[in-house]
Amino acid sequence: MPALLEARAITKRFPGVTALRDVSFDLRPGEIHALCGENGAGKSTLIKLLSGLHPHGSYEGELHLEGRLAEFSSIADAQRHGIAVIYQELALVPELTIGENLFLGCEPRRGLMIDWEKLYTDSRAVLARVGLGLSAETLVGRLGVGQQQLIEIAKALSKETRILILDEPTAALAEREVETLLELLRGLRAHGIACIYISHKLDEVFAVADRITVLRDGATISTHPTAGTSKDNVIRDMVGREIKDLFPRVSHRPGQVLLQVDRLTVAPAGGAQDQLHDVTFQVRAGEVLGIGGLMGAGRTELLMHIFGAWGVRRRGTVTLGGQPLDHPDPVRALAAGLALVSEDRKRYGLVLERDIGFNLSLSSITRLRRGLLVDEETEVRSNQQFFASLRVKAPSLETTVGTLSGGNQQKVVIGKALMTNPRVVFLDEPTRGIDVGAKLEVYELVNRLTAEGKAVVLVSSELPELMGMSDRILMLHEGAVGGEFARDQATPEKLLAAAMGRLHAAA
Amino acid sequence: MNPKFSVRDFSLVLSLVAIWAFFAITSPQYLSARNLSALSVELAITATLALGMLLVILPGHIDLSVGSGVGLVGGIAAVLVFNRGWPAILAFLPAIAVALLVWLAQGTLIVRQRIPAFIITLGGLLILKGVFWLVIDTHTVPVAPGGRPNLFSLLTTYYVPPLASCVLIALVLLALVVVTLRARKRRASMGFETDDAELAFLKLFVTGQGLLLFVLSVNQFRGIPLPVLALGLVALVIQIITRHTPFGRHLYAIGGNEEAAFVSGVPVQRVVIGAYTLLGGIVAITGLLQTAYAGAATTTVGDSMELDAIAACVIGGTSLRGGRGTVLGVIFGALIMASLLNGMTLLAVSPELKFIARGAVLTLAVWMDVKLAKR
Repeated sequence: MPALLEARAITKRFPGVTALRDVSFDLRPGEIHALCGENGAGKSTLIKLLSGLHPHGSYEGELHLEGRLAEFSSIADAQRHGIAVIYQELALVPELTIGENLFLGCEPRRGLMIDWEKLYTDSRAVLARVGLGLSAETLVGRLGVGQQQLIEIAKALSKETRILILDEPTAALAEREVETLLELLRGLRAHGIACIYISHKLDEVFAVADRITVLRDGATISTHPTAGTSKDNVIRDMVGREIKDLFPRVSHRPGQVLLQVDRLTVAPAGGAQDQLHDVTFQVRAGEVLGIGGLMGAGRTELLMHIFGAWGVRRRGTVTLGGQPLDHPDPVRALAAGLALVSEDRKRYGLVLERDIGFNLSLSSITRLRRGLLVDEETEVRSNQQFFASLRVKAPSLETTVGTLSGGNQQKVVIGKALMTNPRVVFLDEPTRGIDVGAKLEVYELVNRLTAEGKAVVLVSSELPELMGMSDRILMLHEGAVGGEFARDQATPEKLLAAAMGRLHAAA
Repeated sequence: MNPKFSVRDFSLVLSLVAIWAFFAITSPQYLSARNLSALSVELAITATLALGMLLVILPGHIDLSVGSGVGLVGGIAAVLVFNRGWPAILAFLPAIAVALLVWLAQGTLIVRQRIPAFIITLGGLLILKGVFWLVIDTHTVPVAPGGRPNLFSLLTTYYVPPLASCVLIALVLLALVVVTLRARKRRASMGFETDDAELAFLKLFVTGQGLLLFVLSVNQFRGIPLPVLALGLVALVIQIITRHTPFGRHLYAIGGNEEAAFVSGVPVQRVVIGAYTLLGGIVAITGLLQTAYAGAATTTVGDSMELDAIAACVIGGTSLRGGRGTVLGVIFGALIMASLLNGMTLLAVSPELKFIARGAVLTLAVWMDVKLAKR
């Protein structure tokens, strides 16, 4: 079968880095082709090339669309040829209605005015194609992330799209929404729309893809029909080595209690309704406490509150190393020996336009002083130490953080937290959106921290990770503790039951 | 943080040369020793205020009230000296204290009540101007009673004698050489790239030439004007604060990503209040200098100086969204603004055209910045 879209021997260079090296890739009509690879493997670069963001002339090699040489000059040009990209970050205007969003920039007109009637009738037809039974006059801001994603796809379809590129479309979706999305993609395939699907989640990839291409270090490693390969194979191709044990947790004998949280009840600043209710737990030295729960259960809020970055305490106490931490703010929390790695590293973690060194030492800079001035030699030595021990892949400490891949950015955030020499470390979704290799490094780091006698609180929405890495697991349900389990008692069924507040009903 | 010579720097230098060439041709006095001396005073005043502005723009804020503040500070000191007969040095103290307090208050309002700096300082612009006019009773209040020179009037009429000026410049140059060499050694020992030796030498050589040219031309008049020394000191202090203190790091971090800075343990509120208070101190210095330069506190002292200060920052590569900007850039931006204004005054350009030219330069600078930032 001739390829619908084909990349032939593509090489793309950036100053100092070759992002793609002689990459070939083809998409057949009506197929779902998954693109897998670690962060930094070159997936995003390839997508940007296929969608015209890196225009013709900025790379070596050729793109062919239906056998003809394609030279996209811009995203708009690629769109005219029927290629549309749905990005992780949604590009909808929440204050506008679904219909207004669908036709944003190409509103049907009658003379100088918008033809509202036609806009909303057309919208209904487009929504039907993605199986959304919503009124087109609904404000987009009222919709959940999953529905917004479908709107994005509907918008692409309304522009005669033949090739749909989805970049990590399910990162923020709940399980049911994921299923809806996958079902929709299968339906589109049946109508001859081809799809390039990028995801870290191999379960989804194997559920929906016809073929799987693995990229590693900017090169094509393999392309297989899904039926002819396995998850182990794909992982091996991605990482370039066997992964025997994905979760290398080494348990230690827990020491004294480092963090004691008693009956914590917290409301959001300015909000009337409490969002955390009577949360009680403790963490010991050398121990990993996993915290799980469904989206909105209050996991992030719990960590952020104890750290002093969220909410107003109504009741309850927090004791860290025997000292009360009652009116926390990040400055005090850090001084008390608590460090936080936030789930949203771009928002709460990094100053993207500054270099690695600036970010690594940011939390410790007031301590790296000699008199009034920064002791630059000590600072650089300390930066170099974490740069090396965390194996950040970058040319130097003076590399701008914004140019790093997700995994390496995460390492910088973690390094910043660890440089404060904390006794208790909060890791909020530390492996979200990073590749398999970097995940392993995070897990090894957790082991190292607990071996040094630090206490780790690990928040994760992935049950295997929780069960694989924690000594104990606390499940939250609507802001309250839904259940607590020792490592050997935890089963996925019990954890889920606790997360849904039905532990006792089930027992 | 290794500054490289960029297209942007190059076009800045080019536009400065163009401005100077234009005025040198159209007005023979432009490059005279007397005028260069006056230009250096005007540069010193504009740049000092702009460096203060840099401190609040770095964390992503702004200040529209500095112009009114300049007038008020000079007004308080002038009234105390002229109407009440206080010795100048004593009159400075309450003037400076008022500036520090006012900016402490403005900074506190901005961060504690979360009111945008634009609004608070717009209010400040109007209120301080009103208070200023009340203080001087909308009269012209000379800085020196009976025209006898005092400390106040000497601020802009004292010159370091030529010989001492030469020695001073030589010392500055020596210090620059020592600092450059030590910084190179340090960077090398920490394993960072350094400029190659030729480029480093070239930079020092050009700087040295510039300083030499400056001192030779002002010496033909009366020597280095006092405000230039003030600028030198302020620049040194701000350079150290922004580059070598935790406070400076915090300024850049807040401007780059305030939420991340907060979660990283940066005391955001204290840092921003600190920046505004420091700006208050600089407004005080500028107010005394500018009023002395005008010879008297009149209702127009300080008018639209906030705009020149902001323009100098932006022309010098400071990002109004915060997180980016350097002392050297701001001084260069101020030099461009001051050269332009001084030249237009010499040519007796009408005030309306002056406004248009200032606005055009500012717009052009921002446009260039946006254009070049895309590369």
